[in-house]
Amino acid sequence: MAKSASPLLDADSRRWTLITAAACVLPLLLQLTPLLGALIAVCGVAIALMAWRRPLHFFVRALLALVLIGAVMMQMNFGLGRDTGCALLAAMLAIKPAETSTLRDARSLIGFALFAPFGTFLLDQGPLSLALGLIAALLALATLQRLAEFESGERVRRLGHWQRLSGIARLIAIGLPLALAAFWLFPRLGTPLWGVPDRSLSRPGLSGSMTPGGWAELMNDETPTLRVRFNGAVPKPSQMYWRGPVLWNFDGREWTQPRWYRGLPAAQTQSGDARWDYEIELEPTDGRQLVALDLPLAPPPDVRLSIDHGLFTARPLTALSRWRLRSAPPLRYQPQLQSVLRQAALDLPEGYNPRTLALAQRWRRELGGNDAALVQRALDWVHREFAYTLDTPLPGRHSVDEFLFDYKAGYCEHFSSSFVVLMRSAGIPARVVTGYAGGYRNPIGDYWLVRRSDAHAWAEVWLPQRGWVRVDPTAAVAPERVYDTLADRAPGANLLGGLTVVTPIFNLGDWARRGWNDFVLGFDANRQQNLLRPLGIDRLDTGRLVALFGVAAGLTLLWMVWLSSRGERERDPVLRAWHAAGRRYRRLGLAREPHEPAQDWSDRVARSRPDLGPALAALSQRFADWRYAVAETGRRDAREKRELIRALRAHRPGPNGEGR
Amino acid sequence: MADRPRPGLRARLRKFARPRDPEPLPALFHRGRVYVLPTGFGLFFATALMSMLLGALNYNNNPALLLALLLSGAGLASLIAAQMQLTGLSVVAIDAEPVAAGQPLRVRVHAKAPPERARRGLRVDDDGDSDAAAPLDLDGGSGEAELSFATRQRGWFELPRLRVWTTRPLGLARAWSYVWPDAPLLVYPAPEPHGPPLPAGSGDQVQSRLHPSGDDVHHLRGYRAGDARRAIAWKPSARRDALLVREYEQPLGADVVLDWRAMPALGYEARIARLARWIDEAERDGRRYRLMLPGQPELGPSSGSPHRHACLRALALLPHG
Repeated sequence: MAKSASPLLDADSRRWTLITAAACVLPLLLQLTPLLGALIAVCGVAIALMAWRRPLHFFVRALLALVLIGAVMMQMNFGLGRDTGCALLAAMLAIKPAETSTLRDARSLIGFALFAPFGTFLLDQGPLSLALGLIAALLALATLQRLAEFESGERVRRLGHWQRLSGIARLIAIGLPLALAAFWLFPRLGTPLWGVPDRSLSRPGLSGSMTPGGWAELMNDETPTLRVRFNGAVPKPSQMYWRGPVLWNFDGREWTQPRWYRGLPAAQTQSGDARWDYEIELEPTDGRQLVALDLPLAPPPDVRLSIDHGLFTARPLTALSRWRLRSAPPLRYQPQLQSVLRQAALDLPEGYNPRTLALAQRWRRELGGNDAALVQRALDWVHREFAYTLDTPLPGRHSVDEFLFDYKAGYCEHFSSSFVVLMRSAGIPARVVTGYAGGYRNPIGDYWLVRRSDAHAWAEVWLPQRGWVRVDPTAAVAPERVYDTLADRAPGANLLGGLTVVTPIFNLGDWARRGWNDFVLGFDANRQQNLLRPLGIDRLDTGRLVALFGVAAGLTLLWMVWLSSRGERERDPVLRAWHAAGRRYRRLGLAREPHEPAQDWSDRVARSRPDLGPALAALSQRFADWRYAVAETGRRDAREKRELIRALRAHRPGPNGEGR
Repeated sequence: MADRPRPGLRARLRKFARPRDPEPLPALFHRGRVYVLPTGFGLFFATALMSMLLGALNYNNNPALLLALLLSGAGLASLIAAQMQLTGLSVVAIDAEPVAAGQPLRVRVHAKAPPERARRGLRVDDDGDSDAAAPLDLDGGSGEAELSFATRQRGWFELPRLRVWTTRPLGLARAWSYVWPDAPLLVYPAPEPHGPPLPAGSGDQVQSRLHPSGDDVHHLRGYRAGDARRAIAWKPSARRDALLVREYEQPLGADVVLDWRAMPALGYEARIARLARWIDEAERDGRRYRLMLPGQPELGPSSGSPHRHACLRALALLPHG
């Protein structure tokens, strides 16, 4: 085709194009900060309306672009990265309608707009983003179809919306097997080619710090944070402590993870007899610390085990990840404590919590050097006089004093924090361990679900000969709040006045979600290599994978061709056999022409190949009778039909000899 | 036309494409002669999808990967669907009303296809040589497209290789198939624009059997296109507000003899042009005429459309001097 100026769009195509662009940008806008998202959305709509009649002037467009880029950069604090890139993409897509007037513009807009759902998935993989992204993709295809329709000039008989969507659905259905084959078999990258940028919008959850009273929101958040499946032994509810960040440093208000211990090797541990082998599926946190059952034995590949048995990955956990771990309850955990560590575990800020210090010193005088008895006395006191509540006042300067002597009610943050301060005041090395406790067993799928509301903090004290010992003062007060594996804490049980009808639905929903995680989100190079393990193939190396992918792609392509050409195939088996017989004569140069009647053809064959003539003449007579002489014979006998088909199929013209 | 030398890859591709010679009709578009190549937009779309795939693989972002794969799968399916738009279609016949050289020749391409599948947005053009493409609407299994070709000289018209194509369903790929019909299409000689009037009826002047009363009208009838002006009865027409024509038992007038040898002063093509003009004039006047060409049996005397076509055909097919 000679190159000509791209034709101007008609109103309907243009509407489709703009709606598709909007649908593509929508999920991305939802991921931006509300202010920026709203700004870009308003700009986009305004620009599309202004430019409806004629494209905006170049200078206006340039000005708009500069203003929007400036706004985005300011909002993003001039940082470059994934978020800024996504915001800029959204801004560009908002400006593009200013010049969308020709077919070419519309197509490039659609092409670029498809990057928006793609960008959204880099930021968020929640169900809403997935659904919106899918809708956007469907709309994009429908619009491409509309544009092709426009291009081919079919203005009179346009497709209905329903016809268009069903056409698209058909294309997707036909393309789906290839897409799935590619998804499971296309070789994945074990390590990224370029870095994964950090997500700057952080999610609430466990972090490297803890302020007593700061978790109140977290404790009511039912969002799943990890799912666990045990292979073999399952720990008792009282043993289900999921170890996360260990906090050593206390500044009077906030507990933090120290920096100094990063390079130190894991502490010496003697394990008890129990062994728990489990697979953990961690929702993205953007941190680098894994959560593991107390205490993890050995780190998985590329994961570092810190001195206080925290597991640190090489990269931020920005996506769903799965880990196979082994844990055991410790018998003796770091029985020799180096003096530096001992010092760190005794450190308290000067001038805070005088009453706690006085009490600890009084107990120390009474009990002498018996650390274990001191711990026990503290636990007994807590058990006797304290209450569990999520409703706590804001702490003042001496937060521990206020809690221990005034309110005497709080939740795990207060209990663990105060307990550790009390122990340290008495000269017992102690630290706060954060993580999760308990879990909910989903009977559908037989796995354990740990939610954000299971977040927990407990204490570890160091005793001579035994090393670090877990002490949970919260459990001494409200064990049911800690080991909430019981059905009464099942999801949805508190809703609707304790109706447990919701629970099975929740179970099913979470199980489906886990399946999606399992099959789609968590699928990586490692699992791909183990894909054929059930069939006895241990590991798929890249070469095998490529070969497998090639075979599967070829097969699905054939299947696609078959599916799309189904309408083409002759439905009548007699006709099919007849055509096939005609084609067999091609070799002899006597193939039946499409327009040639049966009789003419067999006559023609008889003229040049007298040896084949009679057999073919008889056969074509039979065929013609069967097909056209129904009026005379009056019926179509099934047996007759079968025999005719068989005869036609068996008929093969030999090069020289007799035709059968 | 179609075998005009063209540089570059396109030309070479075209040379390999089937059919390579004119072929008898009907021509069935089987799989082997339907070609599919991505359009410019298809390439852009593929590039966009490739970068999405690469990004998704890098971040091991499975939803993004699935999205890109889904779009790729639908794109590939659209390539197959584009091919399927054409396979099974057959070009059944080609025809055109003969026109004088210089007039556009309107060629109608008749096609049919099994009605099971809707075939939308098909177009026919002359292998991309001109911008003009005619829609081929296959409603209910058969349809036709009308292409217009410029004609330069009398004689058989060499139809270029035609291309039936579509970019449906998504505009990502163009599927096309060539058909090069070996169909005889005739171009008549261009008539002389200005020239002398018809020669007077000569030779044996067979006067038509007139009515005994001489000029008396046998009866009047309504005007039909092509009636001679002198046959119009002006006075009765004026009375009736409609053109009326006197009809005699036999047309009046002597047969016109159009003789090649009678105009020696003219050049070869000029004689043909003048004869073509005279044939049209004689037809317009409703007179019988004979055409005498060297080395050919004489045509006529007769008149009417078949005679006219026979005469013009004979003129068109005179060897080029």
